[in-house]
Amino acid sequence: MAEFRVRRYDGFRSYWQSFEVPAKRGMTVLEGLYYIKENLDSSLAFRASCRMGICGSCAVKINGKPRLACETQILFLGDKITVEPLENYRVIKDLVTDFEGFFAKHKAVKPYLIRKDENYEEPKELLQTPEQLNEYYVFTLCIKCGACYSVCPAASTLDSYLGPAAMAAAYRFCADSRDEGQRDRYEVVSSSQGVWRCHLAMECSEVCPKNIEPAKAVQMLRRSTAFSILRGILGW
Amino acid sequence: MRVQHDIVIVGAGLAGMRAAIAAAEKSSRLSIAIIAKTYPIRCHSVCAEGGTAAVLREGDSFDLHAWDTVKGSDFLADQDAVEFFVRECPKEILRLDNWGCPWSRNEDGTIAQRPFGGHSFNRATFAKDRTGFHEVHTLYERMIKYDNVEIYPEYFITNLIIEENTVQGVSAIELKTGNLVFFEAKSVVFATGGAGRLYGFTTYSHQVTGDGMTLAYRNGIPLKDMEFIQFHPTGLIPSGILMTEGCRGEGGYLLNKNGERFMKKYAPEKMELGPRDIVSRAMWTEIIEGRGLEGDYGPYIALDLRHLGEEKIEERLPLIRDAAIKFAGVDPVEEPIPVKPVAHYTMGGIHTNVRCETPVKGFFAAGECACVSIHGANRLGTNSTAECLVFGRVAGENAAEYAMNAKENKITEEAMRKEESRIYDELLGKSGDESPYQIKRELNETMDKNMWIFREESELKEAVKKIKELKERYRNVEINDRSRGFNTDLMMTIEIGYMLDLAEVVAIGALKRQESRGAHYRIDYPKRDDENWLKHTMAYYTPEGPRFEYIPVTVTKWEPVERKY
Amino acid sequence: MGISGWFKLGGRSVFSWAFTFQRLTGIVLLIYLLAHLTYLTSLLDKTGATYESMISLTVSRQFLIFDLLLVLCGVFHGINGLRIIIHEFGFAHEYRKPIIAVAAILIVAVWLYASYVMCSLTGG
Repeated sequence: MAEFRVRRYDGFRSYWQSFEVPAKRGMTVLEGLYYIKENLDSSLAFRASCRMGICGSCAVKINGKPRLACETQILFLGDKITVEPLENYRVIKDLVTDFEGFFAKHKAVKPYLIRKDENYEEPKELLQTPEQLNEYYVFTLCIKCGACYSVCPAASTLDSYLGPAAMAAAYRFCADSRDEGQRDRYEVVSSSQGVWRCHLAMECSEVCPKNIEPAKAVQMLRRSTAFSILRGILGW
Repeated sequence: MRVQHDIVIVGAGLAGMRAAIAAAEKSSRLSIAIIAKTYPIRCHSVCAEGGTAAVLREGDSFDLHAWDTVKGSDFLADQDAVEFFVRECPKEILRLDNWGCPWSRNEDGTIAQRPFGGHSFNRATFAKDRTGFHEVHTLYERMIKYDNVEIYPEYFITNLIIEENTVQGVSAIELKTGNLVFFEAKSVVFATGGAGRLYGFTTYSHQVTGDGMTLAYRNGIPLKDMEFIQFHPTGLIPSGILMTEGCRGEGGYLLNKNGERFMKKYAPEKMELGPRDIVSRAMWTEIIEGRGLEGDYGPYIALDLRHLGEEKIEERLPLIRDAAIKFAGVDPVEEPIPVKPVAHYTMGGIHTNVRCETPVKGFFAAGECACVSIHGANRLGTNSTAECLVFGRVAGENAAEYAMNAKENKITEEAMRKEESRIYDELLGKSGDESPYQIKRELNETMDKNMWIFREESELKEAVKKIKELKERYRNVEINDRSRGFNTDLMMTIEIGYMLDLAEVVAIGALKRQESRGAHYRIDYPKRDDENWLKHTMAYYTPEGPRFEYIPVTVTKWEPVERKY
Repeated sequence: MGISGWFKLGGRSVFSWAFTFQRLTGIVLLIYLLAHLTYLTSLLDKTGATYESMISLTVSRQFLIFDLLLVLCGVFHGINGLRIIIHEFGFAHEYRKPIIAVAAILIVAVWLYASYVMCSLTGG
């Protein structure tokens, strides 16, 4: 048996509730939440989909740290488990938080390949060596679970801060050998909500469930943005 | 509340997003809505791993890809559709490349391809073993570029509104607020995915509950070939997480308890790379005949990757390694992965033609929820993501074309009131003594037991009886959560209602089809019967249960022959 | 979450704590800078009386402990700042754990040495 303490919110008040969950070897926190929903209290709200750590739905704070509920084994945590919604987001209900702003920020950095010669009807194969692929590949692995943003102290004091995930996405495209839109993106990320707001708490890299090092992406982006501005000033 | 758009696309997976892009490319004046019950990148398409089929290189040909597909389908695929499909695949790969998909590469910078089950050429285009994930993200990132595409995330669809055989729109619950929103549209595209959560042991995401299929079905649109459910050979034990066919494509072995590559008995030529139905049956036979390995969760088969070495596994199958370690405590570099066959894909779906049109005007369907049919009785690996891209585009373009020439639609006040009272009064407000989750559990058990790889009449009859009983009990469910905002209790209860209808179609369809073809294997009719059964099953909704009709299969080039691998 | 996000207790890594202390020591150093400038400004009084009275307030054995803490703030802010600068250029993110360990050792070592020097100066 494991004791789940779940932080609940019904739109008006916020409170803790405890549940007893029979924990077997191999059972994940997400399975525990489903057990609660199906057997103990069906009003519990949480997000989940793929249950294999790739859709990014189920990031919650488990024992004080943001993790994917589907990837976290109950027995690795002992028999007392606290589950809370992510911080830095508005809670909608129980463990469900509002991600609208998060996705809006992702959209704001133009996270798509920008090319001048694009042809929708007759696409051409673009060449990219495995080495060029490796330059940015790790940053494509972001599942937008939002764990990084929830622990970012810069985000906690500035709602409009773009945050680690959005800037990692920006860097991922800037570092792609097929891309020609770096300047467009530098403009967005060098604003007062962008790269200069990061103060290297590096908590994002610590909690990222996919180990993509968003902190590094932000710094790489900062470096290239700085050089781009410098080149602009010097007229190169 | 009413919302008006020219085109409403339901479902934001590969097919839905591809349709949105195609429609937006067609005209920037069209207003396009894409609504989904999750955020777009949380869709089940992200779970696709192995690859996407496309003829890209010298030595391969459209005819060869088409032949592999038709042969894989056990000749139930419509060959005109297949021929169209294979020609469109390569362009979709290149478009994704142009939009930023991080395809795995050859040394010279060209897009890499690998072998896959049932294909006679290495034509699985892949991005490590996260192909679906990268495709979804690429499409999403591309989609947000268009100003005329509006995304409605976390809207759960409750009905499809049709009048005089013309689509009027859809109704959906905005989860955040719990309000019912009516989307009026000139054309509607369904890309809502399969019905895999009918099964308990499945590779599917929790959200894949066949919503769109059921809504189309309840509104009089026939479901085609629903009895064909694909079982993927390698589902991780105990969770059912998919271990991609790419494991075997890269050279992995399947071993029984004697350490023997038993596939030599079943598919001597292709071995582990036979089509999925054959490999799954072989594995299940080994298990039934007592040659499976014993584990905490019952007998299993070993998927051995050790001989590939750590470097290749990390390079080509990093997700598999990660999942095996996290979810089964097994590092494939050191130990074989415990697997067994798992429910994986719904070959059937909403009846459409090759233009993705359904019998209702203005209503289109694409992706797994539709049945064109290119998969017939058994889908080849890598053809599903390809189908989503190709037919997502077709649906988007045709929906756009239709919308440009159609007049405004209006959902009547009466229809709105009726739907509101159905959801809030009849479902949410009702008291009863059944738990929807108990019903779902029993449904899953029945499907896992009676509708599995090997089927027979008595078991199927038992399943039909059980499903009818569950449907009866479902009338008496009670939803405990009476609140409006983010009421997942309400959502899941409605989903379970959807699944019961589909389960009935699957079970009765399987009972009626007295032959073995592709993924549908009847112990009591172990032979394929082209004389009587080379035809598509069409299930029509009636309040008493499905009514069945059959339509012929289109054969262009390839007459049915015996299937050997 | 607001400013409390900088100071919350549970579930944080050492990097996040380093960030918090960088902020705090920054504030302390800023206050010190203001005080220092005030002292210097007092030299405008040509008689030196104001300066002397201020000095007598803060330069004393009893006040040594505050001086030591001030030096700790300075040493921490400086060395941790160098660590951050390395990472700010996108370097060595993979080695951030060993680097912060080295930084911590350096901070303690430099501070202890500085304390020793200061104590012996005041003592002797």
